[in-house]
Amino acid sequence: MAISGGVVITHEDIDRAHDRDRVSETRARRGPWSRARLLWLLVGPGILVMLGENDGPSMLSYAATGARFGLGFFLPFVVLTFVMACVVQEMTVRLGAATHRGHAELIFDRFGPFWGWFSMADLMVGNFLTLVTEFIAIRAGLGYFGVRPAVSVLGAWLVLFVALMAHRYWTWERITLVAAMFNLVFVPVALLSHPHWSAIGSALVTWKPFPGVSPEIILIVLSNIGATVTPWMLFFQQSAIADKGLTTHDIRFGRIDTLLGATLAALAALATIVATAPLFAHGMSAGNFEAAEFAQALRPFVGRWGSALFALGMFEAGMVAAVTISTSSAYAFGEVAHRPHSLNLPFQQGKSFYLVLILEAAAAAGLVLIPGIPLVYIVLVVNVIAVLAMPPALLFLYMLVNDREIMGDLVSPWWANILALAVVAVLVGAGLLFGVSVVAPHLLTLIGGK
Amino acid sequence: MDRPITSEGVDGASLNEQELAAVVASLEPDQIISTKEKHHCPRRKLTRMEVIIFWSLRAYLIFMFGVVLYQILSGVR
Repeated sequence: MAISGGVVITHEDIDRAHDRDRVSETRARRGPWSRARLLWLLVGPGILVMLGENDGPSMLSYAATGARFGLGFFLPFVVLTFVMACVVQEMTVRLGAATHRGHAELIFDRFGPFWGWFSMADLMVGNFLTLVTEFIAIRAGLGYFGVRPAVSVLGAWLVLFVALMAHRYWTWERITLVAAMFNLVFVPVALLSHPHWSAIGSALVTWKPFPGVSPEIILIVLSNIGATVTPWMLFFQQSAIADKGLTTHDIRFGRIDTLLGATLAALAALATIVATAPLFAHGMSAGNFEAAEFAQALRPFVGRWGSALFALGMFEAGMVAAVTISTSSAYAFGEVAHRPHSLNLPFQQGKSFYLVLILEAAAAAGLVLIPGIPLVYIVLVVNVIAVLAMPPALLFLYMLVNDREIMGDLVSPWWANILALAVVAVLVGAGLLFGVSVVAPHLLTLIGGK
Repeated sequence: MDRPITSEGVDGASLNEQELAAVVASLEPDQIISTKEKHHCPRRKLTRMEVIIFWSLRAYLIFMFGVVLYQILSGVR
C-alpha cells in the first residue's frame, strides 16, 4: 500500500491500472488489428457467464430435452432463452461499467443492509445447490473414463484452487476462457450423430412439433429457462466487469462480449439437443439418465469418440461452472460484508474472498462424495429453483439500471425496460405454471393440457 | 500519463512517486479502492409500492420453494 497525492494505492489498483493501460494504448491506435486486439482485451465476463451457465445441470437438461422430445419446439425455445439472457446480462454490463461496483454491493448500498443480506443469502443457497450439481457432472463425466469419484471431485477442486494461484484477474479470466471453449465439444458430437438438417431448420422456423402441455413438459420448459437465465449470472458478470476495470467507454465491447458468449453457448446447447435426438428417434427411454449414461447410450449413434467427447463436455461444463459460480459467491460475500473482493488480490489481503470461494466449492465437493445422499433430486430441481429465484433478483436489477442517480444517462431506454419486464413476466408465468402443474395438475386441462 | 507503470503484481509501497501517479491517472477516480471504500452509493428511500412489490416477490419465492419441496417429497414417496 502507498500514498500518491493523498490517494491510497493498493496492489489491486496497480494490477487494474496495468490492464487499463493496455486498453488505452490499444484504443489510441487505428486499424483492424487494433480493433481486434481491443476486443481480445475487453471480452471475458460475457463469454464466461454464458458458457459458465452451460453447466452440468444445464447440459443434462438439454440432453434430456433432445432424448425425450427430439427436434422440435425446444430448439427455437432454447434460442429464445438465450435472447432473454442477453437482455438481462446487458443491463449488468451497463451497471458494472457505470458504477465500478458489484451487484450485491449496489443492492446493499441503495436498498439497505436488510435487502443486501437477503439477496446474498438467496444467491448463496442457489449457488451451493448448483455447485453440488457441478461436482456431480464432473464425477459423472470423468466416471465415463473410469476415474474414481473421489479422484475426479478432489482433482476438480484442486484445478479450481490452482486457477486462483495467479492472484491476477486477467490470468484467471484467460485460463477459464480457454477451459470454457471446450463447451463447444458438443458441436462435433452433434455432427457425428448425422443430424437431419431439414428437420432442424423446420423446427427453428415453425416451433413444431409442439409437445403439448403436461407437468413433465412444464418441468422441462422451466429447466431449459433455468439453464440460461439465473441469479448468479447477474452477480458474476457485474462483479467481473468491475474487477476487470471496464468503464463506460467499454460498454459497446461489453455488449459484444455478452452477445458472443450467448451465441457460443446457444450453439453448444442446440448441439446437445441435436446430439441426443437419436435417442428419441429410436424410442430409448432416458428419463433418469445421468451424464455418463447419456454418453454410453449415445455410443451406437455417435461412435466411441463421440460418446467420449460427450462425457468430456459434461466434465468441462461442471468444471467451468464450479469456477465461475464459486467466484460469484465470493464476490457477493465480499461486497456485502465490505471485505476486499478481487481476483487481483494476493491471498493475505483477500483471505475472506478466497476462503469463501474455496470452502464453498470444498463443501459442495464433499457432499457429492457422501454415500447415499439423494443427489438426483438436487439435479432435478436446481434449474427450477434458479427460475423461481430470478424475479426478485431481476427486480433489483431493473430498479438499479433505471436509477438515474447512479446510472446518469446510461439508464435503460424504454424499449429495454419493456424487454426486461417481458422477461420477468415470462419467468413469473413459467414459475406459476410449474406451481399449478405440481399442486393441481388437473387444472392444466383448462389451457389445453393433458 | 508521464510514464507507464513498469511493475505488476507488486504492492504500492514498491513503486516510485511517478509510477504511483501513473496508476492514479490510468484509473477512473471511483475505480481506486480506497476512494470506493470511502464513498458508497447513498441509500435511497423505497416507496410504499416498491416495498409491497419486494415483499410480494419474497412471498412468491417462499411459496414456490414450498411447491418444490412438496414435489421432491412426492418423488421420494
